[in-house]
Amino acid sequence: MVKSFIPKTYKEALNLLAKNKLTIIAGGTDLMVKNKNISGLLPKFKKDLLFIAHLTELDYIKKEKDTIHIGANVTLEKILDSFHTHSLLKEALSIMASPAIRHIGTIGGNIANASPAGDTLPVLYVLNTKIVVKSLDSERTIPINDFIISSGKTILKENELISEIIIPDNKFDYEVFLKVGARQADAISKISFAAIANVSDSIVSDFRVTFGAVGPRIVREIEIENNIIGLTTNELNSRCKEICDSYKKFITPIDDQRSSAVYRKKVSLNLLEKYINSIK
Amino acid sequence: MSNISKAIKKVDSEEKMSGKAKYINDISYDDMLFAMTLRASESKGEIVNIEYPKIPKGYTIVDHNDIQGKNFVKIIFEDMPIFAEKEIKYYGEPILLVVGENRAIIQDIINNIHVTYKVKTPTYKLRDSVIHYEFEKGNAKEIFNKAKKKIQFDYSTGYQEHVYIEPQGLIGLYEVDKISIIGSMQCPYYIKNAVMQALDCDEKGVRVKQTTTGGAFGGKEEFPSLIACQIAIAVNKIKKPIKLIYNREEDMEFTTKRHPSNINLVAAIGENNEIQAIKAYVALDSGAYIGLSGVVLQRAMIASSGVYTVDNIEVTGDVFETNTVPNGAFRGFGAPQMMFAIEMFIHHIANELKIDPLVLRNKYLAKQNDITSTGGKFRDIIIMDEMINKVMNMSDYKRKLSEYSKEGNFNGIGMSWFLHGCGFTGSGEQKHIKALVKLRKEKNNHVTILVASVDMGQGIQTTMKKIVADILQLPIENIIYNNPDTDLVPDSGPTVASRTIMIVGGLVAQAAKLLKEQWVEGKEITVEKRYKQPKHIKWDEEKLRGDAYPAYSWGVNVVEVKVNPATYQVQLTGVYEVYDVGKAIDERIVLGQAEGGILQGISYGSLEVMKNVNGRIQQKNITDYIIPTSCDSVNIKTVFMDNPYLLGPYGAKGAGELTLIGGAPAVALAIENAINRRVTKIPVTPEYIMELIDYGKN
Amino acid sequence: MGKIKFNLNGKEINMFVDPSARLLDILREQYGLVGVKEGCGEGECGACAVLINEVIVNSCIVPMGTINNKSIVTIEGFSKTKRYDVIKEAFEDEGAVQCGFCTPGMIIASESLLNKNPHPTEEEIRIGLSGNLCRCTGYNMIIKAVKTASKKGEGLW
Repeated sequence: MVKSFIPKTYKEALNLLAKNKLTIIAGGTDLMVKNKNISGLLPKFKKDLLFIAHLTELDYIKKEKDTIHIGANVTLEKILDSFHTHSLLKEALSIMASPAIRHIGTIGGNIANASPAGDTLPVLYVLNTKIVVKSLDSERTIPINDFIISSGKTILKENELISEIIIPDNKFDYEVFLKVGARQADAISKISFAAIANVSDSIVSDFRVTFGAVGPRIVREIEIENNIIGLTTNELNSRCKEICDSYKKFITPIDDQRSSAVYRKKVSLNLLEKYINSIK
Repeated sequence: MSNISKAIKKVDSEEKMSGKAKYINDISYDDMLFAMTLRASESKGEIVNIEYPKIPKGYTIVDHNDIQGKNFVKIIFEDMPIFAEKEIKYYGEPILLVVGENRAIIQDIINNIHVTYKVKTPTYKLRDSVIHYEFEKGNAKEIFNKAKKKIQFDYSTGYQEHVYIEPQGLIGLYEVDKISIIGSMQCPYYIKNAVMQALDCDEKGVRVKQTTTGGAFGGKEEFPSLIACQIAIAVNKIKKPIKLIYNREEDMEFTTKRHPSNINLVAAIGENNEIQAIKAYVALDSGAYIGLSGVVLQRAMIASSGVYTVDNIEVTGDVFETNTVPNGAFRGFGAPQMMFAIEMFIHHIANELKIDPLVLRNKYLAKQNDITSTGGKFRDIIIMDEMINKVMNMSDYKRKLSEYSKEGNFNGIGMSWFLHGCGFTGSGEQKHIKALVKLRKEKNNHVTILVASVDMGQGIQTTMKKIVADILQLPIENIIYNNPDTDLVPDSGPTVASRTIMIVGGLVAQAAKLLKEQWVEGKEITVEKRYKQPKHIKWDEEKLRGDAYPAYSWGVNVVEVKVNPATYQVQLTGVYEVYDVGKAIDERIVLGQAEGGILQGISYGSLEVMKNVNGRIQQKNITDYIIPTSCDSVNIKTVFMDNPYLLGPYGAKGAGELTLIGGAPAVALAIENAINRRVTKIPVTPEYIMELIDYGKN
Repeated sequence: MGKIKFNLNGKEINMFVDPSARLLDILREQYGLVGVKEGCGEGECGACAVLINEVIVNSCIVPMGTINNKSIVTIEGFSKTKRYDVIKEAFEDEGAVQCGFCTPGMIIASESLLNKNPHPTEEEIRIGLSGNLCRCTGYNMIIKAVKTASKKGEGLW
């Protein structure tokens, strides 16, 4: 049987992390399923547990000048309901899982879980989100695409805890989030897609695209984006096929019980094509 | 007579809503033990050795050595062992139970039992036929020999998992002179008979009682007999109450599902584009044991001409054994597979012949007194013309069809026509079931309905009470209908085959009339009625000839969809359904059957993917096996058209299965219309639609 | 083991329990609250739904360690309220109950929705119930029931 720690404060949580190797559990919506046992028996956790969902120090949403700061413990539903939340993130949250899951799942948990099918991730990538992690004696702020290494893996050290995420509060001329699931609600994504763009005087001044569930990590290719920025919208539209082709090698989905690799790849490119064509 | 169709409050709603209703997992006994199943980890082979850890005191292994009777589950075809002895035929086949008080210890014991196998090469392909049937109407063979033009297509259908929200579960109890089985089930007497055979005891030795059942859809028809036998053997050995509840994954991986099928249809076409004959071949995958598969095959074969009268038909079918989890009963019982194929086929013939499908369908639509596929007769009035007109008006079918058929329009509309034979196939009722019902008038003038039919959500407790209350002119509160207990109720047959209202309800109505004649205030009176086959119904079980069913229910469905051309996802945009179930005993209850049934049918046709790879079910939880949510359903327009059946209570025929059958072909036809490609298999998933758009034919 | 304090159907509870234990198991096995059902064990079906601090949550994926100082209401507790009476009547009138196994969860979902949004549109109802699977009804009769409850319970939410 594993031991459980329920710290009273955030500080105490960091203290515990400094001394022990712990599995951090926030809402538990992913970990309780991953460690599921048969009914009536304790879940099959291997490491001792640190419960953090009740730590109110990490439960806040605040707006600063150009950024929105969301504490790691804020539930998905609260973020969905918040006035400050970026419209694209709202879009993703509104079709994520179900109300019952959103009521306890937290943003910190969704990021730490690092599932390529996690629905907030493509949006957080496309919005250039930064992750603040703290340990007892250090603090670092890391762009999300450096924070997540691959499926289920992050650079979070054993003594660290995600404390908040910082989302630049930008408006975009074009923004889209699309989730392709097997049904209209309560589904795990086969593909997810998030993109933004800005156009001024017919020149593409910003362009970002991400794909989820099509490889071990969220796909975002800065180099391709940089090559697009500066094009006229006409050029962008006419180079659509070329751009789609350039993404091909980065979209490396698998066949699994939810869909096929061929489908995931083709639909990803369809969505990209449709998106590019929508930019005028 | 009052209007029987007028809806009343369901008698069991209140206890279900408040959480007071006790389902099997909600029931416990003081000295109750738990059981868990050790399953085979190979698809085919022989058990060479089983190595056990040290078994702590109070924990017991129960296996085939403990069986006093036959090591077969008594189902229609007896080939499935209760516990594997030596031979293993599918991954997950039960070998033994571990029984004890603490579930963690049981789990630990199971994890430390090591079974060694001599592994054999399994078969997953439809190669080994274990049942073969064929029949012919008219001179199909001769016509096909001479036919100049033939149109032929192959169709296939996938698994469907029931996903009753309450998983399988039973408790066995040891009483002084008998073993009781209580739990979630459709057929108390199937279980009783199976357990008697397993224990080698007489009918006094076994008692079976249904508990409130959280959905079944056929999944609790024959499967519970397997676990009931296992539990009964365990209780007989240990002499304490034992609970066996499946968790969801165990339920999805190792219980029965709808048979996957391959269907080949060929039409002989004459000079004037007439369908001279149809040849149908059906292949069903039974999984590792035959069980009910032969009867499922019969129903599929009999449905091979759908709602159409074709004078010459040649039908053959096989049940193939594979080393996969056994398949079994599921709402529709073989008909949904065939009805999908024939509805697609009639459209595909029309397209090949470049004629309007509606014209072709109307030309062959069955009429009263037409001869059925098995040489029986549609004796009763058929009102399909009115039903079709109704649904076409409701849905604005013609206008939408022409609009949606334009190039580049990704909306689609599809219409299915179908029927369902009510009750057991052929002479089942007369020869095998011989249903008996009783009514007992208590001294206080309350009346108890004594039947073995279970309410699994379909509302039978309400409708049966309604029938008796109406005939005897009593308030509904004065009618008693408890969950059946085989010590108290006669064998009125299983709760299957859309037979409960038509057959059992019919007998209940007759008994109520008899009781009315004999009514004496303040006296206890019991009356009974036994089923008698109408004289005009004749069936040859060997040759599959004659009247396969005493009556037929009919349906017309229209489904509208929108296909996303970038993601190939299908969105339902409209559903319309019209049924002839004779007479609805309670409109709202039948509406519940209609709405729930058609959504199960539509999702069978478009959403529900279950695959078996190397004997392993891939979608083994409800995260991966997709059933519709409230966001996937749409408002459904439903109409029932009265067409009373002379021998049914108030004219009622079967309703439960009918409502599932038209959903798959209607949605498949709608998708076909939306993407202008020929659909030949279900489920029509986005992945399949992508393939069709890229490589398919129209 | 840890000490967990919470309010259960209006009663203050202090218990020693393994914080990794599922709330569902504790409710069913320690408190006999068997109106809370287990359908899937992984947060997909909603049969185990309860209210935690007035919002719907699936108790099969809630570890006890997360409910300290929270208020839990199960169907057994909720069925003693006026709001329940209104929802109950609406479910009866619209024929929203078939096998009943999903029903307590559906009622909890309805309450959670109406509590947040007393006059939901049909689409909002569909979304509000989207985490509760029903295999019997096709959902529409349940959706109508929530609409009816919203009308008849005017002022209650």
